[in-house]
Amino acid sequence: MANMVTITVDGATIQAPEGAIVLEVALEAGICIPNLCHMPGITPIGACRVCIVEVVDGERRTMTASCTLEAKDGMVVEAHSGPVLRARRNIVELLLAEAPNSRAIQDLAARVGVTASRYPMRNGNCVMCGRCVRICDEVWQSKSLGFVGRGGERHVALPFNTRPDLCKRCNSCIEVCPMTITPCPGPMTEPGICSLCESQVTMVENIGDTCVLCELGRGFQCAQWQLRGLLAPT
Amino acid sequence: MPRLQGPAALESYREKLKDQLASYELTVTMCAGTACRACSCLPVVEAMSAEIESQGLRDKVHLRLTGCHGFCEQGPLAIIDPAGILYCHVREEDVPGIVARTIRHGEVIDELLYVDPVSGNAVMQESEIPFYKAQDRRLLSNNRRLSPTSITDYIAAGGYSALVKALTELSPEQVIGEIKASGLRGRGGGGYLTARKWEQCRRAPGKQHFVICNADEGDPGAYMDRSLLEGNPHSVLEGMLIGAYAIGADAGYVYVRNEYPLAVSHIREAIEQARELGLLGGEILGTEFCFDVKVARGGGAFVCGESTALMASLEGGVGEPRAKDVHTVARGYLDQPTNLNNVETWANIPQIISNGAAWFAAQGTEQSKGTKIFALTGHVKNTGLVEVAMGTSLQQIIFDIGGGPQDGKKIKAVQTGGPSGGCLPAAEFGLPVDYEALSAAGSMMGSGGMVVMDDSACMVDVARYFLNFLHDESCGKCVPCRLGVDRMLEILTDFTEGRGTMEQLDTLKDLAWTVSVGSLCALGKTSCNPVLSTLRYFEDEYIAHIQERRCPAGVCKALTRYVIDADLCVQCGACYEACPQVAIIDDSHYWIDVELCKGCGLCVEICPSDAISRV
Repeated sequence: MANMVTITVDGATIQAPEGAIVLEVALEAGICIPNLCHMPGITPIGACRVCIVEVVDGERRTMTASCTLEAKDGMVVEAHSGPVLRARRNIVELLLAEAPNSRAIQDLAARVGVTASRYPMRNGNCVMCGRCVRICDEVWQSKSLGFVGRGGERHVALPFNTRPDLCKRCNSCIEVCPMTITPCPGPMTEPGICSLCESQVTMVENIGDTCVLCELGRGFQCAQWQLRGLLAPT
Repeated sequence: MPRLQGPAALESYREKLKDQLASYELTVTMCAGTACRACSCLPVVEAMSAEIESQGLRDKVHLRLTGCHGFCEQGPLAIIDPAGILYCHVREEDVPGIVARTIRHGEVIDELLYVDPVSGNAVMQESEIPFYKAQDRRLLSNNRRLSPTSITDYIAAGGYSALVKALTELSPEQVIGEIKASGLRGRGGGGYLTARKWEQCRRAPGKQHFVICNADEGDPGAYMDRSLLEGNPHSVLEGMLIGAYAIGADAGYVYVRNEYPLAVSHIREAIEQARELGLLGGEILGTEFCFDVKVARGGGAFVCGESTALMASLEGGVGEPRAKDVHTVARGYLDQPTNLNNVETWANIPQIISNGAAWFAAQGTEQSKGTKIFALTGHVKNTGLVEVAMGTSLQQIIFDIGGGPQDGKKIKAVQTGGPSGGCLPAAEFGLPVDYEALSAAGSMMGSGGMVVMDDSACMVDVARYFLNFLHDESCGKCVPCRLGVDRMLEILTDFTEGRGTMEQLDTLKDLAWTVSVGSLCALGKTSCNPVLSTLRYFEDEYIAHIQERRCPAGVCKALTRYVIDADLCVQCGACYEACPQVAIIDDSHYWIDVELCKGCGLCVEICPSDAISRV
């Protein structure tokens, strides 16, 4: 039995096993921290940075991703402070401009209140969250997908661009991909930015930080849905 | 040579080596660092060796090849001791003269002496040269005295005595106490207290402790670590040995870039030699202390200088950083406690142990102690490696040591700390170099790159250049760094190509902040510095680019327009002939078609009557 520790997230005191992932602890307690690359049970990599929070240690405040943060006794975390919201919005805006046609990214944008992008839109798809790469490696022990290249050239590819024999054609990579969710049929206000979910945004804003298992979360494959086993594979 | 069985054996070996060296009447020291090798110093060395041999001076004259002295501008360099005569730009044909006149008769050859560009006087001795005079060369001066490929030189000069002192007189805690009292801070850029890091690593529980030397220096224009590793590899090894003893580590790595072939071969040779003498391996100098070092070569990724990426690369994985909420001192290489220090930090350790913490702490400022090596490059008269006490002002480094601007131009800014550092304007040159002062001014110490720029540099273009470097070197793992730097670069490119808007300037500031707080590792977190520091001190240049579509320094080609002054034009037609774009039109008088002009500036250079100007 792991040592139980007490942490504070947005003022709520939560008991958690020592070393538990702060993002999961918060989601379990009903505090909604938007996230994208995280999958419960899979090694976190802290790539999308959407789940950033502030760790408060007296005067010192450090911003870090909550999916790679391990719970320690007495830890104070702020997931919705002014700077966190601002940074999170800007990060989602970057994602939105990169892959505007993805339902997951649109939902995420609606969730954090991004309705426009200041950058020219690119018609990309992959945002390099690494979900497919990690599920292939860690769940299926197949390593049929990997990251290739550095910086702007980074992309997901098969080894030497051919499907290896180790690939079991399980389709997990497609199921966990935030780009493969069927987009809703609603109208687009601006190229690529969905406007249907405004009611959802209002709800999230009104209810504050309480997770209501909103449809948005199902859309962007929020770890909360996966934690509860509610995200049925399509 | 058999293994040294104890401190006494090392001492008697040292005495023997000293006697051997004392038997020579003269020593000719030739710099064979990378910069001097690029200036073809090796044929000169061969000629010198052959000439000494043929003149029958082999027993009297000791020819020593050393690592970089730092005065790369003047290479190849040769110094004749004990007189200390320094010859610059030595060529093969100068060698017979040097042997016949200077070595045989002690005569000085005036033509080969260094001429001070400020006063115009020839200077005979190294110590009198202003470039060296204003420095405090505690680490670099050893490069000139030792052959990096011979452990005997290092031992004769008192090497490995600090190790003996640590092993025989001090407990590991006392070693850490000594380093703590010296106030040494990490020279790789972060400036974390070395002793605190060691202490944390020593206390961290683990099956095995490791120490690593970070020689993955990748900043454009910086080569401090390279010179130390090439010129004095044993000092780094000795530092690592002392560190390993203090931390309780029994294995170490030197992670060095593969692009530094000389450094790789010198450190490998040094490790072999130390192993042969029993200074590495099991039961070092007859004590219970065991430690061995391996060399790991980096594949050329800038991000692998970051501690977690370096360790991932060392483990054989992809060189990508991980979250550092748990530090590498607790969970590093192979998930064991690992202490990573920069080359320069390790090289400082033996000196601190030998001379005492007080000696080290006597130099420097309240919070930054000792000396620091900088790679001074750019638009100054003397470029090279500069070692100064912490707290020396930028003014002193750039003007007293660097000799000030070239060709009567005016120095505008200095970029410190490599691509992640910032640009400081001439008005801030009174700043002392110290970790806190530089950070407060919006730049950073970094590993010690210092690029001086005169008024021919466009600060928007400079920011774009450094950002472009970071864009190429970002690993691409996290969103703020991969996409954020990409978008910042996009905006800056818009500025330099005349498409910028004031709204973009606000976006840029907002984005720079996001990247700095949101990124995963230090590469991303500091990638906003080139942008933020230039915005802080040179915002007028940005505004000129955006509102007036004008580049004040005339660097950004898309914003540069050329005009021909009809009154000054002598109708020679030289520009008409020279223009590769056929943008100069010849009808009654010459004029430039701005649509066709690509802004190369050839016409300006060729015009005999200075009739063409840049607006």
